[in-house]
Amino acid sequence: MIGHDFLEETAHHNALLQVHPFTKLFLGIGSIILVLLTPNYIVPCFLAMTLSIIIIVLAKINLKFYLKLLGIPLSFAMLSALVIIFLSEGVTEIWSVQLFPWLTLAATSESLNQGLHIFSRIFGGMCALFFISLTTPMTDLFGIMKKLKIPELFIDLSMIIYRYIFIFMEKASQIYLAQKMRLGYTRPGEAVRSYSMLFGSIFITSWDAGEDLINAMDGRCYNGKHAKITSYNPVEWRTLSAVMIYLFIITGMILWTSG
Amino acid sequence: MEPLIELKDLEYSYPYATPALSGISLCIRKGEKIALVGSNGAGKSTLLLTLNGTIRPDKGSIIFQGKPVSYDRTSLRKIRQKIGFVFQDPDVQIIAPTVWQDVAFGPVNLDYTDEQVRQSVTDALHNVGMEGFEKRPPYHLSGGEKKRVAIAGILAMDPEVLVLDEPTSMLDPAGSEDIMDLLDELNLQGKTIIISTHDVELAFTWADRIILMEKGEIIGSGTPEEAFSDKEMIRRARLKTPVLLELFYELKSRGLKTSETLPRTVLDIIRIIEHDHHGTIRLPGNGYGTIHVGDVDKMSGTDVSDILARTSHDSIGVMGSRAKIYARKWGFTPDISYAVIDKCILQAMNGRSSIILTTGRMVTRVFERVTIFNQANDRSIPVRSLTLDNTTDGVPPEDNVAVQNRSLLKESC
Repeated sequence: MIGHDFLEETAHHNALLQVHPFTKLFLGIGSIILVLLTPNYIVPCFLAMTLSIIIIVLAKINLKFYLKLLGIPLSFAMLSALVIIFLSEGVTEIWSVQLFPWLTLAATSESLNQGLHIFSRIFGGMCALFFISLTTPMTDLFGIMKKLKIPELFIDLSMIIYRYIFIFMEKASQIYLAQKMRLGYTRPGEAVRSYSMLFGSIFITSWDAGEDLINAMDGRCYNGKHAKITSYNPVEWRTLSAVMIYLFIITGMILWTSG
Repeated sequence: MEPLIELKDLEYSYPYATPALSGISLCIRKGEKIALVGSNGAGKSTLLLTLNGTIRPDKGSIIFQGKPVSYDRTSLRKIRQKIGFVFQDPDVQIIAPTVWQDVAFGPVNLDYTDEQVRQSVTDALHNVGMEGFEKRPPYHLSGGEKKRVAIAGILAMDPEVLVLDEPTSMLDPAGSEDIMDLLDELNLQGKTIIISTHDVELAFTWADRIILMEKGEIIGSGTPEEAFSDKEMIRRARLKTPVLLELFYELKSRGLKTSETLPRTVLDIIRIIEHDHHGTIRLPGNGYGTIHVGDVDKMSGTDVSDILARTSHDSIGVMGSRAKIYARKWGFTPDISYAVIDKCILQAMNGRSSIILTTGRMVTRVFERVTIFNQANDRSIPVRSLTLDNTTDGVPPEDNVAVQNRSLLKESC
């Protein structure tokens, strides 16, 4: 019934849960930065492949689930790559088609290169992003944020938001079901009305929840502080060095292919 | 004994509504188990919220440990640490994204050191039997587990009084029994416990003292037997008579001879029927069954299976949240998991032996209950303590002290 906690749920059960979140973030963010620096499509593709292997083999994420997840951004990326391939200027024409007398679509080797480059960068970047979200639960990130000296206020707010997203999602899905059972979304006009009612109730619910939250925090002597978990398993130097070597190899590949 | 909390002539009304509390006077002693019972909208939750200063009464005073409660920030913090409030809906109470962080919320805000925070969270989670759940986010937990986390969050601040608003309203029957068992356990550790409920069966068997509320007023108070035997009052409070009392009245009107107190448990009613009327319904050929008690804190899984194999028994009872967790871990399915002592005495009276697996002070509790029962009813049900090498007869040394302590608590104010 509830699909909103799929990513978090998976992250809480992945095989790399015990690895220090810093190591995982280092790999994920490092990969994203390197992907943005690549001059061609070879390195991002290599990155995407290796990260996917890590996600599936080491983190033991279900392959089908991963492919489905990856399919969403990649289908968008594919479309934009096609647009770029056919609409960018270039010198050496490879293939062209005249759709209408006034419109000719032409792919040039330059535009093909550019399209592939952008597509592979999105591909690599998405793999790195999914690596973070599938192996590191949000709850682990709060502690890291604290260690990285991100302002407490920001972390506290994001913790409360994180906690309440799930409560409101649950509430919203209950209201939605109740409306559907009373034929709330049968006609377009009706759907708009039901939808606005749904949001109205959620607003009131969140208002109430806010007051309850203040009472609950006061009831427990709130004094401006939230506890954070900062004790993880120690950073394993072996894993961290493996990550560093991997990123070095990627950097080397970037230098080699561009030079 | 000095009252712990004293309420004098409290009045309170919500804006534009009829008075939610009027003329409430009440005193609560240390170590009591009190149930506020009343219909929906009787003012139970409002009264409970005045106890820790969340609601400030329009008139009247609240005296806690001899001092009137004042409503400045520092005093409020102090009183909220000593009187812990557990909300009806655990989703309201659980603030943080993980179990550990939530339980640590109170201690961190009380400016404990890191070491103290860690220790109090570990102890609190241990107390409610939720070790190993530290890093779980709350939306992964079941209703009963969430309730336990909510209680642990309060326990971590080491309060003297625990106030619970409808502790079982969102739980399934087994979950409710577990929570009430946990509250008994905490009461044994010396905490005063006040709950509100409209479940008469639960209040009747659990509480030391019942306070009946209706339309913002206290209409009666007393032991469960007293409170629930006044039919007029029960009707006024929109409640109903507990099934057990109903049965008792019916038996009485059919000529059951009774001299003494009203029954509170199945054990009581069996005892009344056997003792006061027919003598014994059936005394088995082999006499009474034996009750064996084992402290699972001092044993390993293999020890327990050894003991179970060695000791003859008809049923296994598991009492207390920690013992239940051990039992699950070691793969024993208990035959009895709530009202364990009573049920084992019932079994023993029927000639069947049982083994009770429990932890810590509750071992003493079993001895105490059975001894009191034996004395009061002139019976000799044997209780044995299970140890690793052999089983020993008799009573653990602390027992007498505990018996005295508990009888002291019985006087009400």
